[in-house]
Amino acid sequence: MNIQSLDPRITRLGIDAEEKNPDQTLQREEHWETYQVFHQKKRGEKHSSVGVVHAPNAEMALLFAKEQYARRGETVNLWIVNTRDVLAMNYDDYDVFSTTPEKMYRDPAGYKVNDKIAAYKKAQLDV
Amino acid sequence: MYGGGYIHDDQKKKPEMQAEDPVLLAEFEARIARGEKIEPRDWMPADYRRQLIRMIEQHAHSEIIGALPEGTWITRAPGFRRKLALMAKVQDEVGHAQLLYSAAETLGKSREDMINDLINGKSKYSNVFNYPAKTWADVAVIGFLIDAAAIVNQVANSKGSYGPYCRALERICYEESFHLKQGHSVFVYLATGTPTQRAMVQDALNRWWQPIMHFFGPSDKMSQHTETLMRWKVKMASNDDMRQQFLSMYVPKIWEIGLTLPDPNLKKNPETNQWEFTEPDWNEFYEVIKGNGPCNAERLAVRRASEERGAWVRAALKRADQHYVTPLA
Amino acid sequence: MFNTDTLNALRRLLLAMADDHLIIGHRNSEWTGLGPILEEDIAFSSIAQDKIGHALGLYSILYEQLGEADPDTLAFMRNETDFTSCQLVEYPIGEYDFSLVRHLLFDVAALIRFEDASHSAYDPLAKLARKVKGEIKYHVFHASTFVKQLGQGSEESKARMQSALNQNMALALGMFESFEGEALLVQQGIYKGEAAIRTAWLGEVGAIVEEAGLKMPDAEKLEPIYGGRKGFHTEYLQPLLDEMTEVFRIDPAAEW
Repeated sequence: MNIQSLDPRITRLGIDAEEKNPDQTLQREEHWETYQVFHQKKRGEKHSSVGVVHAPNAEMALLFAKEQYARRGETVNLWIVNTRDVLAMNYDDYDVFSTTPEKMYRDPAGYKVNDKIAAYKKAQLDV
Repeated sequence: MYGGGYIHDDQKKKPEMQAEDPVLLAEFEARIARGEKIEPRDWMPADYRRQLIRMIEQHAHSEIIGALPEGTWITRAPGFRRKLALMAKVQDEVGHAQLLYSAAETLGKSREDMINDLINGKSKYSNVFNYPAKTWADVAVIGFLIDAAAIVNQVANSKGSYGPYCRALERICYEESFHLKQGHSVFVYLATGTPTQRAMVQDALNRWWQPIMHFFGPSDKMSQHTETLMRWKVKMASNDDMRQQFLSMYVPKIWEIGLTLPDPNLKKNPETNQWEFTEPDWNEFYEVIKGNGPCNAERLAVRRASEERGAWVRAALKRADQHYVTPLA
Repeated sequence: MFNTDTLNALRRLLLAMADDHLIIGHRNSEWTGLGPILEEDIAFSSIAQDKIGHALGLYSILYEQLGEADPDTLAFMRNETDFTSCQLVEYPIGEYDFSLVRHLLFDVAALIRFEDASHSAYDPLAKLARKVKGEIKYHVFHASTFVKQLGQGSEESKARMQSALNQNMALALGMFESFEGEALLVQQGIYKGEAAIRTAWLGEVGAIVEEAGLKMPDAEKLEPIYGGRKGFHTEYLQPLLDEMTEVFRIDPAAEW
């Protein structure tokens, strides 16, 4: 007996209501590999990481990324990268960055000479 | 947005809380207390991982099964505008499932395993989708009120501690605002339309009210376990708080257009500022979880058939040198 | 600007194109939530939405420029015999192989039609075509990528692709059924004409089929399944029309 659904689409599919194949399980990696998706909204802007698609190859990943990550709003370009080709740092190693914010000699804010100039100007006036 | 507030967790099958390394645990908890997010490759307590997988997976299943009751009306939506909106909405739900499965994968469970657990009945999804969408007005009630209820839950969860889940929810919440608007639009057109239309939406409301009241689950028993989940920012609000928030936000929008709700005791107590209502039938709630709701069997059979009928496509495109890697984000 | 005969032929052209897109859009929308993998489900739904959007654009020209009824009335209130869609689009979705190959055969033709129409002497059609041909380019990209890969996939997928192609071909040739006044449109640079579209289509489909490692059925030996453009339909159209209008008919005067 096929499923007689309230949904006419489902009724048309002719799904056997009784059948439950106990062997029917998805195999490992049946949903393929993962690709990271990068989205560029406008020319001149950078590509940003927006998420993941499962795909059997890069070409299909691009095809899928378009609809999963660019079906709304503006897009000019997409990149996809196989996740296995991304070498990421471990968050555990964040301490390699920990002193970076202190390196003020690299930072424009690390250079303040206005007080020297003001003092010099004042001294000149006093002469 | 479809994730219910209620996350089914079979207490009998639950492993004992594992003893964790106290130093790592203290660092982990301190990070969350500072408002920082946890990322996929961070150390995390086993129970945190387990609870998150369970929660995100159930949310993902709810999205993909949730596409079925509304899908019931896809070929029958009246007119271009409603047809396009419903298709886009149901498509978004499938998109949300994709985003959520990806987020859950970062915790180490594959999409295939999650779908297997769904179609074999091991893993649950929101009970509301085990009720039938009998008329076009059901699309209005689902799109407006079920999505609204889910938004209450998901906005809370988007402030949780797990980075990938928060990122998925940010995008999902954005899309949900469209769902809610389109649901409300259908709802208002019916409620302010002809007597037949108004009767349709009142009937749908009457049928869906109990499943909606079930949506956030029964009152939480405040246990040490719940406290831990709240400290870890896995659970962000109690079921009762979310239900109260939902009632405050949406009951007035139902009453303002002269529709009624099938609970004579429903009212906001001006002294306590809390909504009072008749407790819904919680036995029915547990029966539906067990698989005995009006549509459980059909929903799973359809999901199973879809997977089965797509198997040849997936098998044909699988490359011999394919190598799955857990997604990064 | 155009005489009455030309305008009538234009109405026939636009209605046939609109009906084709409306019906295939409805058919493809049936896959929403039921596709072979989540990602493809999402992609296929977008394509179905685009088709219904293109139908709306075409009915809107008929309404705004040519004095026909409004798009919802045209799409949802006509009788089956007034529909001039080809029979290819009417068939139920079947298995994924059938829907995918139909999508390829339909969309290669749609792209040729709309690319040509973007230079049409009839400005409203040219404007619409320029706006939507990018969408159809993606539809063809989607269909041809899938067909090529499944054509070279497993033994099962090769066999399924070939059999779906054989099954669809005579129906697809029915897309190019000529209609009254067509020659007027060709003469005045409004439209490329069915024969020319068919020739271009056979070339492009043939190239994709070859790349997919499949065998192109010999179009010259097949009898195209005509009739749709004259209102003759299969047993599958009326039930679909009933579905499409089921809610409307509860109260045709109501706003939904």
